[in-house]
Amino acid sequence: MAHNDNAATINITDEEIDHICEEFGNREGAVVQILQTIQDKYGYVPAEVLERVGEDLGIPHSKMFGVLTFYSQFYREPRGKFILKVCVGTACHVRGAGLLVDKIKENLHIEEGENTEDMMFTLEPVSCLGSCALAPMAMVNGNTYGKLSGDKMVDLLKQFREESAGEPETEASPAS
Amino acid sequence: MATQTVEEMAAGLFRDVAIPTIHIGMATCGLAAGARSIEELVVKELEKRGLEARIIPTGCIGMCHNEPLLDITMPGMYRVSYRNVKALIIPQIFDAHFVKGEFAKKYAVCQIPIAGHKPFEGLPLMAETGFFRGQVKIVSSRCGLIDPSSIDDYIATDGYKALRKMLTEMTPDMVIDEMTKSGLRGRGGGGFYTGLKWKLTRQSQGEEKYVVCNADEGDPGAFMDRSILEGDPHSVLEGMLAASYAIGNAKKGYIYCRAEYPLAIKRLRKAIDDARERNFLGDNILGTGFSFDITIKEGAGAYVCGEETALLASLMGERGMPWPKPPFPAQKGVWGKPTVINNVETLGNVGHIILNGGDWYASYGSEKTKGTKTFALTGSVKNSGLIEVPAGTPLRSIVFDIGGGMLEKKIPFKAAQLGGPSGGCIPASGLDTPVDFENVIAAGAIMGSGGIVIMDEASCIVDTAKFFLKFTQDESCGECTPCRVGSKIMLEILTRITEGKGQEGDLDELIRLSMYVKSNSLCGLGAAAPNPVLSTIRYFREEFEAHIRDKHCPGTVCANLIKYVVIEEDCTTCGLCEPVCPTGSVTWDKGEVAHINLETCIRCKACVDACKFRAII
Repeated sequence: MAHNDNAATINITDEEIDHICEEFGNREGAVVQILQTIQDKYGYVPAEVLERVGEDLGIPHSKMFGVLTFYSQFYREPRGKFILKVCVGTACHVRGAGLLVDKIKENLHIEEGENTEDMMFTLEPVSCLGSCALAPMAMVNGNTYGKLSGDKMVDLLKQFREESAGEPETEASPAS
Repeated sequence: MATQTVEEMAAGLFRDVAIPTIHIGMATCGLAAGARSIEELVVKELEKRGLEARIIPTGCIGMCHNEPLLDITMPGMYRVSYRNVKALIIPQIFDAHFVKGEFAKKYAVCQIPIAGHKPFEGLPLMAETGFFRGQVKIVSSRCGLIDPSSIDDYIATDGYKALRKMLTEMTPDMVIDEMTKSGLRGRGGGGFYTGLKWKLTRQSQGEEKYVVCNADEGDPGAFMDRSILEGDPHSVLEGMLAASYAIGNAKKGYIYCRAEYPLAIKRLRKAIDDARERNFLGDNILGTGFSFDITIKEGAGAYVCGEETALLASLMGERGMPWPKPPFPAQKGVWGKPTVINNVETLGNVGHIILNGGDWYASYGSEKTKGTKTFALTGSVKNSGLIEVPAGTPLRSIVFDIGGGMLEKKIPFKAAQLGGPSGGCIPASGLDTPVDFENVIAAGAIMGSGGIVIMDEASCIVDTAKFFLKFTQDESCGECTPCRVGSKIMLEILTRITEGKGQEGDLDELIRLSMYVKSNSLCGLGAAAPNPVLSTIRYFREEFEAHIRDKHCPGTVCANLIKYVVIEEDCTTCGLCEPVCPTGSVTWDKGEVAHINLETCIRCKACVDACKFRAII
């Protein structure tokens, strides 16, 4: 799954970008896949990278920007270490996904689509993850968690914090 | 019946197996329920006891409400299914099978028959349980039974037999004839006849043609395609091979799968690699001169890409914007070439139809909707999961027989939402509607791709309409004004109503806008966006009016319209509600009925959830 361990700055050389584009034969039709590959590797697609891909493929920047912003899974900004994809599909909605999202917002002091200041978490409500029988559910860095409640979510957040290596554990001090 | 029975199919999986087999449900639903740790525990338990057994992951058998699921097959015996398996009960299951030679009665759901094996006494067969009785499994027949990452399991259950038959005994026209006879219609919701679609693409001029599998299952509350891709990926490949052969040997196929389904993509990749290795894909397939290969394209998060022309645009690296038809993909699709585009479930049916004949398939179902349909049954229903029933099965038997009735016995059925954001709600008075394309439309919803969300009296119809409209609003690509702006204004009105600011005339305005958006939008997304609003106003007008006139939400969902009260007769004075209130609005003294101060209440619902006696409403 896409994640970036050090979100502050990323170094991608033009050669690396060229290399990725070449892997897809510099084909215009592969632009979505190229951007996906870049994002999988680096966590997001910085503006200068987007420009370089456009140059490699011979696509105007306006069009590149259009493609990037059309799809909800592309990010132009760095994201947290743990991406909290909370399902807000129908079945989860009727079983209280809204409360789950509220709980996270309250606990982490962030809004939808935002990162915590320490770049630990990103809150990303998503439409149906397809495990409706276990509603409400969430997917965090590729792992699924079913039958959640507000309290279970808070426990999970704590667990992720503890798991995170090199991060000294501080009691309930989310970025504010 | 020409098709393999469950017994025969299962027998293929256990031929020459002398040791016990343990199947663990490892589709996304199983994993979310903790199947991975169950697997680790099983491995440890086997080691501890010094036993030898095969551990095989399977896809979803449909009983999502019973996950994690674990099946044990002792040599020569039927396969026993255990539900909601936890660490504590694993030793008991092991004792029963490995020590006592019986089964753990307390935790077993059913047994799956295997031809040539013996049944256990006192345990119902799979087909005898409430959940499976009434189901007819064709496209989902292998899901949950086989190891989806094993091509041998697929072949052992008649897999790729249809391909061989087609390439050696049938002409492309014969394949199209069988598909036409079967009456199979697009299972993604469109309902276009598959045989006709293939025929039209066959008639299109040009050497270069393409087959595209639409696996961009985006309807919230729908996971039929995910289950098939995760549980039986080869069946989809076989369907694509047939489509390619029928339309005049398209050399190349694409599977466009949404990125939210990482496991499905993984299973597909493995299936494609294995199929290539066995020469079911690639050049000169089975030495017949027929060549076909498949590439997976991952979606990037855009619901509209489930619409076929938008999907094709996205496939070619563009913004996923739909184009007005004609030209139809059958004439001009990928790279401007004739393209057949079918949904996962449609393609999954194809192998079964070729093998058993179109007439056989058409013997199931209703007059205009032949065969079976899978549904993702979810919401406030007891047995939620993936089901497959003959088209035309009444909604009532889906909810109350297969679904086992309402999740909470005390709260009655209110509505079934069918067809996701393009569909509508069917109320209790419509429970006898036969679920097929035509009858569901007449009832004001659509069968769609197969999502059925059950709502009870504790849910709010206005909130549901708002939910779906917000979804389509978010996902509107913005190309045409009726959809982009119309849905936005409608959403604003609905939001106002749920906030207690509804006005007289709002409903008429909603209906007027709905008709406008419906008839003027460019693609299916916009044309269907008003459906959830129209169908809910049609059946639940009083509930809308209660919100608008009385500022009251009967389902107690809309926070601004809720006034929580304690029902004195039902309150047992237990006091559970008091400590959970974050604002101290609930007051209670020992032996006294609790009281809620509405001035300070923030409608968080914590007290309602805490009350075990439903005394707070």
